Amino acid sequence: MYNVDYAEEIVGTLFSGLGLTVQFVAFVIPAGFVLGFFMGWARTSSSWFLRALGTTYVEFFRGMPPIVLVFFSWLIATLVLRRYLGIEDPSGPAFAVGIFALALHSGSYQAEIVRAGILSVPTGQLEAADAIGLTRWQAMFRITLPQAFRVSLPALGNEFASLIKDTSLLTVIGAFELSQTGLLLVIDALIDRQDFNLIFIVWTEIALLYFAVTFLVTRAVRGIENVFKVPGLEAAQL
Amino acid sequence: MIRIRGLHKSFDDLHVLRGIDLDVNKGDVLCVIGPSGSGKSTLLRCINLLIRPDRGDIFLENVRVTAPEIRPEWVRQQVGMVFQSLNLFMHLTALKNVTLGLARVKKLDPANARERARSELEKVGLADKLNAYPAQLSGGQQQRVAIARALAMDPKVMLFDEPTSALDPEFIHEVLDVMTKLADEGMTMLVVTHEMGFAKNVADAIIFIDRGQIVERGTAEEIFERPGHDRTKAFVSKILG
Repeated sequence: MYNVDYAEEIVGTLFSGLGLTVQFVAFVIPAGFVLGFFMGWARTSSSWFLRALGTTYVEFFRGMPPIVLVFFSWLIATLVLRRYLGIEDPSGPAFAVGIFALALHSGSYQAEIVRAGILSVPTGQLEAADAIGLTRWQAMFRITLPQAFRVSLPALGNEFASLIKDTSLLTVIGAFELSQTGLLLVIDALIDRQDFNLIFIVWTEIALLYFAVTFLVTRAVRGIENVFKVPGLEAAQL
Repeated sequence: MIRIRGLHKSFDDLHVLRGIDLDVNKGDVLCVIGPSGSGKSTLLRCINLLIRPDRGDIFLENVRVTAPEIRPEWVRQQVGMVFQSLNLFMHLTALKNVTLGLARVKKLDPANARERARSELEKVGLADKLNAYPAQLSGGQQQRVAIARALAMDPKVMLFDEPTSALDPEFIHEVLDVMTKLADEGMTMLVVTHEMGFAKNVADAIIFIDRGQIVERGTAEEIFERPGHDRTKAFVSKILG
């Protein structure tokens, strides 16, 4: 049943899909983190307006299925391109739209992680910062954020792992990332070769490749955790 | 050194301070006692403007610190504070806890800040713990770092808000020793405490606060042995058991 020749034959094709998936991940993780960081911070603000902005963002995008968000973003983007810029090729904006939609989606989860991190810093430390004459901003950058960051890391690693696999949703807008490449191979296996067994080979290889990317990213996050570890203090005790 | 007149503070419907008048002379140690919720901590926090009073005035060496044009950061450099809950910055070493204010508030360059912080930590007996993180220190050691952190800012007054209440009994004396030494050196101190030994031996005066008012002021002997008010009597008999 296991067809070694076929397994080797499709590796190259899958690797080209993997390349695009890695590119998505490389853009979506930082974009989602920046968005999540500022929105999570906004939710802890004393300003009514910033809190409302952060809360609205989180509630809206956390409640929307990412696949719908990807579709809508793509539909709106192609509509705008077609109507106002006269661009007909619908595959053009897929890359930018994919990053945009997934960053919005993941940012809403990361915002809550960041907010939890900020709230985990005991208020007594901020009082102490006030008492030695530090300004609000100095206390935020020297006391609150460094500790919030440490507390947030494990949960952020979790969210990154989830996000890597969410890039497979971009199949629906024709981005030729790993899952899309796999789907095309499956169609080819069924129609041209009429060999049902090949499907297992395709999906097994895809699973292994997602696993490899996820493993590398979560290991990297764990490495960052270790670099910033405070002796005598585990994150949970902060 | 400190002059307080007609101080009022409410939190929503709760009238915590109801007209406090208080004078503290330079070099005096004033102990503040009173039941929980009586307004002791609020009074201390008004003096360094961690809490802004609703009414009344506070003067620090004849500067009206409650005036709107006075920056709270400036006031807080003149007034050091030590908390019941220690409140060290948990992600920084003992040394960094002390250098932070020196570098960021007093704007010392890194080498000078480090030298000054080292000498403050030596004074509280922690010369061998400079690079320890708070979680690696005992409660008593942490509180001594907190005292060093406050003293590094060259305060004119030190406020202590129940500095030993959160500590295991075995560590209380080491913190009180540091405070006693500080008092001997002539620091002006306001100390909220239930350590009667410290109050008796070190305090120049004791005030008893109840329901947001100073009920009675006197020497340790006067307050503990022949209190003038029934409320003082009742409280003192409770804490002396």
